[in-house]
Amino acid sequence: MTDRHEKSVPQTEFPKSRSGILSHKRFLVVGLIVLSALVYLGFVAFRGAAMYYLTVDELQARGDAAYEEQVRLTGMVAEGSAEKDSETNTLRFALAGEDGTSLPVVYSGAVPDAFKQGSDVVVEGSLKLTGTFEADTLLVKCPSKYEAETNSEAAGKRD
Amino acid sequence: MADLGYAAIITAFIISAYCAVAAFVAARARINELWLSARNAVFVTFGLTSLASAALVYSFFTRDFSIAYVAEYSSSDLPASYTLAGWWAGQAGSMLFMAWILSLLSVIVVVQGQRQNREMTPFVSAVLMGILAYFLGIIAFASNPLEKMPLALSEGMGLNPLLRTSDMFSHPTTLLLGFSIFTVPFAFAMAALISGRLDDWWIHSARRWTLIAWIFLSLGNLFGMVWAYTVLGWGGYWGWDPVENAAFMPWLAATAFLHSVMIQERRGMLKLWNMVLVIITYTLCLFGTLLTRSGMLSSVHAFAMGAVGPLLLALTGLVLVGSLVLLWMRLPRLRSEHRLDSLVSREASFLANNLVLLGAAFAVFWGTVFPILSDAVRGVKVGVGPPFYEQTMAPMFLALIVLMGICPLIGWRKASPENLARNFVYPLAVAMPLALTLYLVGVRPLYAVLAFSALGFVAGAILLEFWRGVRARHRGHGDSYPVALPRLVWHNRRRYGGHIVHIGVILLAMGIAASHMFSTSVEKTVAPGESIEVRDYTVTFRELKESAGSDSLRVTAMLDVSRGGNDAGTLEASKRFEGNDQQPVTDVGLRSTPQEDLYVILSGWTDDGKAILKVAVNPLVMWIWIGGGVMVVGTLIALWPDGRRGRRLPVLERVPVGGLEVGRA
Repeated sequence: MTDRHEKSVPQTEFPKSRSGILSHKRFLVVGLIVLSALVYLGFVAFRGAAMYYLTVDELQARGDAAYEEQVRLTGMVAEGSAEKDSETNTLRFALAGEDGTSLPVVYSGAVPDAFKQGSDVVVEGSLKLTGTFEADTLLVKCPSKYEAETNSEAAGKRD
Repeated sequence: MADLGYAAIITAFIISAYCAVAAFVAARARINELWLSARNAVFVTFGLTSLASAALVYSFFTRDFSIAYVAEYSSSDLPASYTLAGWWAGQAGSMLFMAWILSLLSVIVVVQGQRQNREMTPFVSAVLMGILAYFLGIIAFASNPLEKMPLALSEGMGLNPLLRTSDMFSHPTTLLLGFSIFTVPFAFAMAALISGRLDDWWIHSARRWTLIAWIFLSLGNLFGMVWAYTVLGWGGYWGWDPVENAAFMPWLAATAFLHSVMIQERRGMLKLWNMVLVIITYTLCLFGTLLTRSGMLSSVHAFAMGAVGPLLLALTGLVLVGSLVLLWMRLPRLRSEHRLDSLVSREASFLANNLVLLGAAFAVFWGTVFPILSDAVRGVKVGVGPPFYEQTMAPMFLALIVLMGICPLIGWRKASPENLARNFVYPLAVAMPLALTLYLVGVRPLYAVLAFSALGFVAGAILLEFWRGVRARHRGHGDSYPVALPRLVWHNRRRYGGHIVHIGVILLAMGIAASHMFSTSVEKTVAPGESIEVRDYTVTFRELKESAGSDSLRVTAMLDVSRGGNDAGTLEASKRFEGNDQQPVTDVGLRSTPQEDLYVILSGWTDDGKAILKVAVNPLVMWIWIGGGVMVVGTLIALWPDGRRGRRLPVLERVPVGGLEVGRA
């Protein structure tokens, strides 16, 4: 199959570059420039987006430093605490920590399907001086493919 | 049945372990009888894993709730189709599913090996069966899907309603297939390293298998995006969740390999680099399998804990260290045959593409594992959200798209000014006015102008290539234009298949860029008769409707849609509550046109019949799915077996001996 078209991109022969070392250096330099650009890009983006991943207890242990700082918080929705105000479309609930601590959270926006009392959730936002955590993102650990919590549930049902 | 299945798993574990050792010894010492025995062991292993899988599926259909896994993922009222999905719905079953695929792949490799690479096949089988034996060991001793409970339950817990969609058949299966198939190119690479035969034999097979795995991985990611967009109602198709990242990283590394492998085929360069890419790709696959099962990261997906995590971590470490040691031992044989001649050449542009793809994979990796790293080093978890990924990926993908326009058209070795002028004047002539027009009509941010003109440039370059090919056929073969196009593609499948994949990427990128930068959404509580206006759409809420099924309740918001004052039909956005725990599932109301999607989520309602609606207009989303489809079709064309057995011709050599070798360091 000698397609004419195959030849249409000519493999141009050109005079050899003068020295191997020179071209090697050139590649190294260009490669390093590209690489440092990538690293710089990553660094800047990282600095802008990095935040603490904390539990409720850890947040409260931070004292005054905890206020007005964007963090990602994990905890459990305290039983019976969630109430939704449909008029303003805001959700209020208490996020429970490990040793009885809890934190009031307010969130407005679409509530994920898996959200319910007692579910493990992740919120992103910041703790206001009023003592309320204002969340701009609410994620629920979705009981999808490889779930852990069914084990305990299953154990409960087996009784 | 469960006992029989478990016996099959144990036996398969023993036989595959034997097979790995036997195949290796047979290959090393060239004992043909031993190889024949090992080969039979491959077939037997496949039979046994099939038996175990059949036992699991049988237990599902006979509702055998004495098996913990069956009880956890099904119930007696679960429809037959979803009952089958139980096979891969959970961690233990999905491991068996992967093992079954792996054993099937081993059979294919062995059968193919009777015709090609005969002496090498035992090595390949040894690696494949070794990995399979490890998986079967995990299944047998740490995560047995056929494990019985002391007391049978009267009823199973049923499948999570979120998983009861047709996507449950497309997304997990293709993803698991993709991950599993990447074992094969890895096995070929390891066979080359172990045997010391590092010539081109492995690279052809590795490339084909990688393409197949790449198709499935691409599909898996795409189906996941569709699922997240239409059913899960998360408001988007991609959220940079660790589990999504887990499937995206190997895709990036594999894409890099598929490009750099061409340099090795044509120019005998980058041999070491290609090995490294195969190893990285497979390690990332194992890492992804690990991520979804280890509970290491907080994610919207919940994970199972247990012994499986550490065992998979050990396998990942073992594979990475083992393959790097092998690589180190074979380093002297992986020298390049040639060196890079010029920065303005196809080789150099491919290298740049590789650098950016791996840079992207690394950025994703860094963002994904940083919480673990910082926890280990400083004792605090610090992580990044979507903004990090968006800020790093956007420029990198912009660069990749530009390279995508340059790579296939620039000359090998050293591009001449004529070559550059010939191939890039017209595309630039498309891109420049496009950029200017976009800017003048007020498209902002500038990023958007840049992105869309880059896409125009690449589209121009590819279409020009098609046009030239068609014209050449028309003149050379006398084909009429409509006939020339399919013939052109068919007779140069690899080349034009690749171009078609790139067209798919352009469409996909167009959809992602547009929907990301230009979507608008409004969230509002509305009483019946009230409407929400977004762009030129008016969505009027008519009423809430409740409908009850046997085990489910559905609340639907009935909506009338008009666009620019004209009636545009009706739409339904609903939430259904299903199963034991009445878990809600959001069904998005979607009106999709090539131009834009009208996307309505019913997020809640009040007692007095008002609905809380989120209405979004997402431009060009349909092109993401179309682009994905085009990519898959292009890959299939490139992959279609070549009857002529014609190998790509090496590029003519005019290089003096003793040149500097790139790709060694």
